Formats: sequence, structure tokens, C-alpha cells
Amino acid sequence: MLIKSLAAEWLKMRKSYIWSILAALPAVSILIGTANYYANKSVLTNGWYSLWTQVSLFYGEFFLPVLIAICCAYLCRLEHFNKNWYQVMTAPVSRSAIFISKLAIAGIMMLIVQAFFLLLYFCAGKVLGLASPFPIETVGWMSRGLYASIAISAVQLALSIRIRSFAVPIGISICAAFIGLGMYVMKLGMFYPYSLLTIGIGALSQESLTIAENGLFLAMNSLFIVIVSAIAIRYLSKRDVVA
Amino acid sequence: MKAILLEFYKLRRKRVFLMIVLFLLVEISWAFLSVSMAMSRNPDKAGWEGIVVTIASMNGLFLPILSAVVVSRISDMEHTGNTWKLLMAASLPRSRIYAAKYACACLLMLLAMILLSIAIATFGLANGFAQPLPLSLLLRFVSGTMLANMAVIALQQWISSAVKNQAFGLGLGMVGGFIGMTADLFPEAVRRIFVWSYYTGLSCVTYKYENGTMEFVTRSVEPALPLAVVLMGGAVYLIGSIHMSRKEE
Repeated sequence: MLIKSLAAEWLKMRKSYIWSILAALPAVSILIGTANYYANKSVLTNGWYSLWTQVSLFYGEFFLPVLIAICCAYLCRLEHFNKNWYQVMTAPVSRSAIFISKLAIAGIMMLIVQAFFLLLYFCAGKVLGLASPFPIETVGWMSRGLYASIAISAVQLALSIRIRSFAVPIGISICAAFIGLGMYVMKLGMFYPYSLLTIGIGALSQESLTIAENGLFLAMNSLFIVIVSAIAIRYLSKRDVVA
Repeated sequence: MKAILLEFYKLRRKRVFLMIVLFLLVEISWAFLSVSMAMSRNPDKAGWEGIVVTIASMNGLFLPILSAVVVSRISDMEHTGNTWKLLMAASLPRSRIYAAKYACACLLMLLAMILLSIAIATFGLANGFAQPLPLSLLLRFVSGTMLANMAVIALQQWISSAVKNQAFGLGLGMVGGFIGMTADLFPEAVRRIFVWSYYTGLSCVTYKYENGTMEFVTRSVEPALPLAVVLMGGAVYLIGSIHMSRKEE
């Protein structure tokens, strides 16, 4: 049942133009971050790490949360059109399969975005002629960023299922990202999904997380994914949909 | 006028105003926190210029996205309800309908600007700034920001009306916000190509670095800059209006 739901979700996304947006936003982040690094090369002397500070700052702080929100709103957009929620809810698939399949597709899209961003970062470093070896920490930043993206995806999907408007959940995401920045500054980042992305991706601090911090990071993200998914599935099961 | 009122009537239960207030709350909270921290470090630099310039630079990020959200709400209700055909069959020229939607978005953003100015004034008065409330400075701030907003709204409205998939409009708003925030890092010639750079470009207060310290300087904006925004905004509005008037729904 879940496989069929996944196939149906993938079918909706496969030939959509959303991919051009998914490619454009990381590209803009890399382009501006690289230009800024090049302009301030005399101050930014730590090679790949300095380049990472420039490209990941705005990407991890603002672009990625909004990109996730756009993906999630898009995943629910078709259902909000032409009374399609009625069709989805009367299909012989469980409510949890509907939500989990959407979340899985959002996760796959984020994986592709992260891989593309990493590739662009590598190319930017090579174009700038960075001689030092490629930092292995980027794999950790990217994978932690991906896991935090899935937690945010769960929140955004829940919002996009509940709110019919395409724009409102995206607006909420930018506000939430800013609140996340405040939570990070107040050292409460581990308890808020949008700050977990900042921590995971190393947007503001490139220091490695300790084993305990990594454990807490994984636990908090898992907790957010489970709780928010349970709330969203319960909402789909208990409330009458308004298509 | 009736067409504009009808646009507001359609929006009455869309909670657009709530969205605007939420956005502004986040923006002003962040700006006031930042200015309060700066004031506690340098109490002698506490003044209206600091808060105006901070808000102006944050507007570069927030207002393109807020404009995209507001315009998307106004256009998407027609896409979602399949009402473009109905609207275009009304006994009104299509250009008037397009103009009414544009005016509605501009008025909503003007309201946001007024709220922002009230917040700035309240912050300054609450913190006991030495200078009296600079009404002319606030007026210049609102008019400069609103001019940039009008050009951005023209672009967003074209995209949001022409492309049913609102992801494009909001993606553009996001890119605009990013450019608006980082515009001051670009060379002058490059910066002026992007309409989002004018949020800081038309600001009546700017930063100036002298002997390693940052000063806030009040300036008079060169007449070429507002003219450039009006030309860009006007051109995009006309293209959008003509395109939507001739488009088969």
C-alpha cells in the first residue's frame, strides 16, 4: 500500500517544474556565497571552511527551510485543487500511507537538493582554486542537514495539509526560520526543528558536534518527526476534509 | 474603485492581514533586538537613524517575500477557484481587473509600511531617543520602501497571474529576498539591475565606515534611483497587464 502511495506521489512530481526551483535556489546561494568569498579572500583564509561559511549561511538559515516549505506545499497542492482531497481520502490506502509517502518524497527531494548543493560547493571550490583537500566534515553537515530537513518537512507537510493556501505555509516557514535563528542564539536550538537545521548543516558554527550532541540531535529530530507525523495522521483520520 | 473593493471583499476571510502582521512581528522583533543590543554597547549612538537603517536592510529580505505571499494570495484564489474565466467575462476591461489586483496588493503593503513606521516611532519614544520624532525621515523611509515595493509587486503579480503554479512566484520572491539582503555586497552597476536592491538603495539612511567605526548617515537619494525604479516597475506592470489581457484563460 505504501509502495503504491509512493509511486503515486512520485508520479505527481516526476514531470513537474518544481525541479527547476529546487535547482535554482541552491545555485543562487552558491553563486552569491562564492562571489562574496572571492571579494573577501584576503580575510577568509581558511580555504574550504571559509567558503562553507559563505555558501551555507543563507542557504541553511533561510533558503533551505523555504525550499522545504515550497516542496511540501507543492506535494499537497494537487489535492487542494478540484476537490481531489475527496478522491485521496476515498482511495483504498491508509491515512498514514498518504502522509508517510508524502514525507518520503519530500525526503528524496531534499536528498537530491543536498547532493546538488554539495556538488556545486565542490565545483565552486575548484573554480576558486582551493588547493587543500576537500573537507570530509561536509558529509556530516549534509547528512545531518538532510535529517533535520525531514523533521521540518513533517512540520511543513502538516501545515500544508491543514492550510489550503499555497503561500501561507511558506510565509510561516520564513517566520519560523527567523525564530529558529533566535532560538539558536539563545542556545535553545536543539529544541526547535528550524534551529536543528542550522546546527546540523553547520551554517553558523563549523565546530564538530560531540557524541552526546549528535545523539541529542538525532533524538530530537526523530521525536519531531514522530510527534508531528502522528498529529498530522490523526488530523487526516479524525477531521472531515474540506476540498 | 468598485473593482478594488471587490478584491478586498474576496480577501476578507483569507487572513492576509494576519499573515502581514505575523511577518512584521518577526521582522521588528529581530530588528529591535539587534538595535537594543547595539545601543547597550554604544549608548551615544542611540538614535532614529540606527533603527531606520536596520529596518531598511531587513526589508530587503522580508518585503520581497511578503509581497510574493500577498500577491500570490490575490492571484491564487482565482486559480484555485477556477474563476479567471468568470472574472475575464465581467463587463470590465481586463486591464482594469489587473489594475485592481495591483492596487489591492499595493494598499496592503502600504498598510504594512504604516504599521512598520508606527512600530519604529513607538520603539524610539519608548527608548527615550534624544531627538524628537523625525516625521520627514519616516515619510521618506516609507515612500522609498513603497516605491521599491510597487516595482516588486508588479513583477510578482505578472508571474503569479500568468503561472498557475505558485511555487514559481514564491521562488522568485525568495530569490528576490536573498538579492535584497545581499545587494549591498554587489558592485554598484550590477546592484542597480535588480529591483530588490532598491529597498536599501532608496533608504534615506545608510551606513558609513570611518576609521574602523560604523556611522549612520542621513542622505538625500539621487533622483536617478527612484526614476529607475519607476521605469522598471512601470515596464514590468505594462508587460504583465498586456500579457494577461491577451492571454487565453
